[in-house]
Amino acid sequence: MTNAQDKSATAPADADRQAEAVPPTAAGTTTAVSAAKAPTAVAESSGGVVATLFRFQSVFGLLAVFIAAIIFSPRRDGEILFLSADNLANVVRAVSEIGIIAVGMTFVILIGGIDLSVGAVLGLAAVGSAVLMVENDWGFLPSIVVVLAIGLVFGALQGMATAMIGIQSFIVTLAGLQIARGLARIWSDGQGVAIAYGNGPNEAPDSFAILGERTFGGLVPIPVLIFAVVAIAAIVFLRVSAFSRHLYAVGGNEKAARLSGVPVIRVKIAVFAICGLLASLAGIVHAVQLNQGSPNDGIGYELDAIAAVVIGGTSLAGGRGSVAGTVAGALLLGVLNNILALNNIDSNIQLLIKGLVIVAAAALQRLRPAS
Amino acid sequence: MAEVADLVRMSRIGKRYGGVQACREVDFTLGAGEVHALLGENGAGKSTLMKILSGDVTEYDGQIEINGRNVSFAGPTDAQAAGIAMIHQELDLVPGLSVADNIFLGRELRTRWKTVDRRRMEREARTLLERSGVDLDPRRPVGELRVGEQQLVTIAKAISLDARVLIMDEPTSALTTSEVERLFVVIRELRRGGVGIVYISHRMEEIAQVADRATVLRNGQFVTSFDPRRLSTTEVVEAMVGRPVQTMFTTPDAAAGDELLRVDNLVLKPRRPRPGRRDPDGISLTVRSGEIVGLAGLLGAGRTELLETLYGVAPGGSRSGRIVLQGKEIQPRSPRHALSQGIGFVPEDRRTSGLVLFHSILANTVVSSLPSYGRLGVIARRMERAASVRMADRLRLKFGRLQDDVGTLSGGNQQKVVFGRMLLTEPRLLLLDEPTRGVDIGAKSEIYRLLGELAGQGIGVLLASSELPELVGVCDRVVVLRDGRDVASFSTADSSEGDLLAAAMGDRAEFEGRAVFEEVGGPQ
Ligand SMILES: Nc1ncnc2c1ncn2[C@@H]1O[C@H](COP(=O)(O)OP(=O)(O)OP(=O)(O)O)[C@@H](O)[C@H]1O
Ligand SMILES: [Mg+2]
Repeated sequence: MTNAQDKSATAPADADRQAEAVPPTAAGTTTAVSAAKAPTAVAESSGGVVATLFRFQSVFGLLAVFIAAIIFSPRRDGEILFLSADNLANVVRAVSEIGIIAVGMTFVILIGGIDLSVGAVLGLAAVGSAVLMVENDWGFLPSIVVVLAIGLVFGALQGMATAMIGIQSFIVTLAGLQIARGLARIWSDGQGVAIAYGNGPNEAPDSFAILGERTFGGLVPIPVLIFAVVAIAAIVFLRVSAFSRHLYAVGGNEKAARLSGVPVIRVKIAVFAICGLLASLAGIVHAVQLNQGSPNDGIGYELDAIAAVVIGGTSLAGGRGSVAGTVAGALLLGVLNNILALNNIDSNIQLLIKGLVIVAAAALQRLRPAS
Repeated sequence: MAEVADLVRMSRIGKRYGGVQACREVDFTLGAGEVHALLGENGAGKSTLMKILSGDVTEYDGQIEINGRNVSFAGPTDAQAAGIAMIHQELDLVPGLSVADNIFLGRELRTRWKTVDRRRMEREARTLLERSGVDLDPRRPVGELRVGEQQLVTIAKAISLDARVLIMDEPTSALTTSEVERLFVVIRELRRGGVGIVYISHRMEEIAQVADRATVLRNGQFVTSFDPRRLSTTEVVEAMVGRPVQTMFTTPDAAAGDELLRVDNLVLKPRRPRPGRRDPDGISLTVRSGEIVGLAGLLGAGRTELLETLYGVAPGGSRSGRIVLQGKEIQPRSPRHALSQGIGFVPEDRRTSGLVLFHSILANTVVSSLPSYGRLGVIARRMERAASVRMADRLRLKFGRLQDDVGTLSGGNQQKVVFGRMLLTEPRLLLLDEPTRGVDIGAKSEIYRLLGELAGQGIGVLLASSELPELVGVCDRVVVLRDGRDVASFSTADSSEGDLLAAAMGDRAEFEGRAVFEEVGGPQ
């Protein structure tokens, strides 16, 4: 038995090396690469299946929760309420804000940092959108651009503080949380600013309402569409860009990254800027969904976002993880919230169950095969 | 030496990692008072075999007997209780703790009040360190020690365990000749005390000096056992590699060209003092294109610090003197800046400064040259893969798949990845800090051949090494550093290892050189 296994398992290694011995002419390289790939597939068919399963374990976690939701869903006239189109749309709509934030948080956690300020930045952005459009009568585009720029700059400043001065990002963004919250209060005089629509003074342009009310193709709410675009853009970006390699390297071993010529400081600032930008985007989505901007919006969202990232399999130590996992993590939390609400479970019990699920999901992460 | 009772008997040991058979039916024995050298190429399975013995690897095939009794360890603690201690190839100290804390980690000495007895730990640590021949303050945090010093600390720690079986996995890879001699004195003492020692090293000259018996592994299998004093290095190497090997050093024949690098009276005064570091304190040297210049010196002579300054990673502070690259004065600000000037650097400690161990071989190989594989910040995967394959092939890297974690490679192969990464940046000047640390003899010749090739293409190389044979064999010229200054420069055509050593030791030469000579005194 050992013998047979030996053969199949050592073959790929040998084949790989032989293939790579082909001289690196243009044509030779292609053959080398394709030849090297073939045995890889062989290897994956044995030990690889398990590994592949584990790579997508956050998706399986999501699937498990989804199935549980179907089973425990209340029914009306035999119809499973959880699966109704309206309800599913609600689930994703409710997830979209946390989801957008969590995508940015994934970037930060991938470089081994943390951003506690995202909830407060969301609040600042929600207030900003409302105040600019309603009280200052700004147009749709300028308001949005300014609000997004505020998030971007806010994040970049936090990035500078941690990258250039070397303060731990936990502390920097804890301070950032207070500052953003304070700014939001000052800007709004501590009051929620209601958003009314129309062309008159103290009314926001109708174009803004479209963001919240319309659906895309009659099915997908716009906030969900925004979340989907952000998530897909982030996934593609992490797959193809040179920047993403730098990002993973910084999170994996900062010293080695620096010695390899990775612009560590620039990477860090950019990552915090992206996170701030996405938090303010989520703030705009938040304002439009609630038709108001309140300085207390988004309290505690940073923790939900971090939970989504960690459930999605991204390591808090940095250098390892994916946005796809985060999306699955955010959806998992969303489905869980929804099914608990559908069943009218006492809100205190809800907290309890959510806590247990988070621990269970994190425990699953530790089961990955030893490398 | 023939009839010693077996202290350790390992039979038919097998271990596989995914697609790699690290050990296959290996038999290995160790007698009390015996120094048994374990030889083999990178990835031959030496560390794996010893990790099985030391309880680090607990799933394996085969049997282990200690003093004739079957054992099966649940972990390193178990093995330590049975009297087995191991000095790991990759340093496993806690950087934030002091030297003394590290030595006594997990078995801290206590006072009457059950509090940690710092004073006694420091005192004993000092004694231990002295015994292994280091002058080191036990209160210093390990993180700020240089690699060689860390190695000495792990040695001191292992000795303090009073083990019956002491496994040393490449204990000398970052030590210079005089420190190695000291270690050998300690090893002989332990042997007299009946300790069985497994000694792993890629430095062939050490084996004949210290070992009673040597065993060669190849591709995880036992090849041969012999008395190292009776076989020549060539024969040993042939057993390791499995085929005859050409001369190890290829003397670069390229005629040196124009001046590439000139360093004039370089002095660095860091803003904050760095205890234990030796910043450049008046160094002048030149490297011409196509020339390989060696940097010799004892541990702490300032070789690493010089290279770091040239690569732009020195700490902030005032710098005087000039660094001139191809006629243009430069102020290296950061590694990125240095790379853009065509200066590449291979750091000494590949695990902490070189690699992201849990990232793929591919990602680690191309990280310094990413912009060249694609456009507008988008990577063309085909190109980066091709580059990585080309480099793996050129360095004869031993690996399973390019997407495997680089941490699963054997030590020497990890080193090759760091080396290859720099070559992909196509530097004009290569700064190498112990580039062959932990690299097997075959791969070493590969690297030497490669250096010769690079020099032939007009690249200048500045090579810091603690292996004198390497310096003399590979370099055109060797500059000797002592206490942060250049004290001598030799053309290797007409100087010997002895000349270098004498210059490196300076005033200490007469005193210490004789002491070392007497202590070593040839094999008993
Ligand atoms: N944790 C691991 N996971 C996967 N493969 C491993 C692991 N550890 C070792 N290997 C593989 O097992 C083989 C033997 O490795 P080992 O470290 O024992 O070699 P070695 O003889 O000590 O080499 P070196 O001289 O470079 O230190 C190598 O091919 C290596 O890639
Ligand atoms: Mg090893």
